[in-house]
Amino acid sequence: MMNDPLFQQWRELSWRRKLTAAEDAEVRAWLAVHPEAQPDWEAETALNDALGRLPEVPVATNFTARVLQAVELDRAASARERKWLGWQPWKRWLPRMALAAIVLGAGLFSHHEVVANRRAKLVRSVEVVSKVSSLPSPAILEDFDAIQRLTPPPAADEQLLSLLQ
Amino acid sequence: MPAEHDPDAALMLRVKQGDTHAFAELVDKYKQPVTNVAARMLRDPTEAEDLAQNVFIQVYKSAPRYEVASKFSTWLFTIVRNLCLNEIRRRSRHPADSMDTAHPEQEDQPLHQFEDKKTFSPPDSLLQGELEQKIEQVLAELPENQRTAIVLCRQNELSYEEIAEVLGCSLSATKSLIHRGRETLKQKLKPYLRTGAWSEPK
Repeated sequence: MMNDPLFQQWRELSWRRKLTAAEDAEVRAWLAVHPEAQPDWEAETALNDALGRLPEVPVATNFTARVLQAVELDRAASARERKWLGWQPWKRWLPRMALAAIVLGAGLFSHHEVVANRRAKLVRSVEVVSKVSSLPSPAILEDFDAIQRLTPPPAADEQLLSLLQ
Repeated sequence: MPAEHDPDAALMLRVKQGDTHAFAELVDKYKQPVTNVAARMLRDPTEAEDLAQNVFIQVYKSAPRYEVASKFSTWLFTIVRNLCLNEIRRRSRHPADSMDTAHPEQEDQPLHQFEDKKTFSPPDSLLQGELEQKIEQVLAELPENQRTAIVLCRQNELSYEEIAEVLGCSLSATKSLIHRGRETLKQKLKPYLRTGAWSEPK
């Protein structure tokens, strides 16, 4: 009986508001035919009364004024923020430009270091080469005596000479 | 719902145009129901007023984007519920368990049942204030979704369809939540209901 659609409909209606006199009369008529539903209906109406007695939570008398004040403060803060960002677009781009400059600077510095490093290696390799004793001029090779003087003749074989005598 | 059928939506459209008088009108109209719902959702009347103010600040900030997609009160109470849930979640990060944690086996019941250690004398000796406290206490013990559904149900501004929209569930699920919450309330308040302690004085 409690699941009777009509009873359920009245029940749901009573949850939200007090039944009209006509609705109340209909319910009473239905309950007269279904007395087993009476305790449940009484419990429902008693609970409705109890919930209806819940007091309103106190609200400050200046509630609306405080809300309007908070809204005004928020609006002023937003206006200041917009002003700081400025109507000049470049001010908005300033942080990005700063970052781009840092990245570019770092790149250029790295490139300079690489080039300087290569140059240093080249200098070191040239220095090694320059330490080799300087060779005589090729012109002296045209003169045999001069060539002879370059490489001292081997020492005389004294033993052989004595044998030949 | 067209704005012309919802005067509050029409006011909100004026707020969208920068009309602060329209905004003040909406605040005046809804500050009480919003605070009532927030207080019962948060179980803290003191925090409820701060949260209610934040609700209206949020309403004002959302004005530029406001479109009449539903009734204004539905939209408003959706904001109320979302801000309350955020606050409940923020509190639940505290080491103590949230009071809203559902029992793993009985989703109708909260994880923590706070036993009423008071021994009530026969209902006819209860003062009205104590009775209201008892109702508040039992309501506060319900799981959040049931509590919210019952509290919203008491707000005359919302139909069941609109309550379902605020809760983000179907119409049948919403009615089920209300039914289950009420069954729990009836069970816990049985001694008082049986004796008819709340019947109107004759």
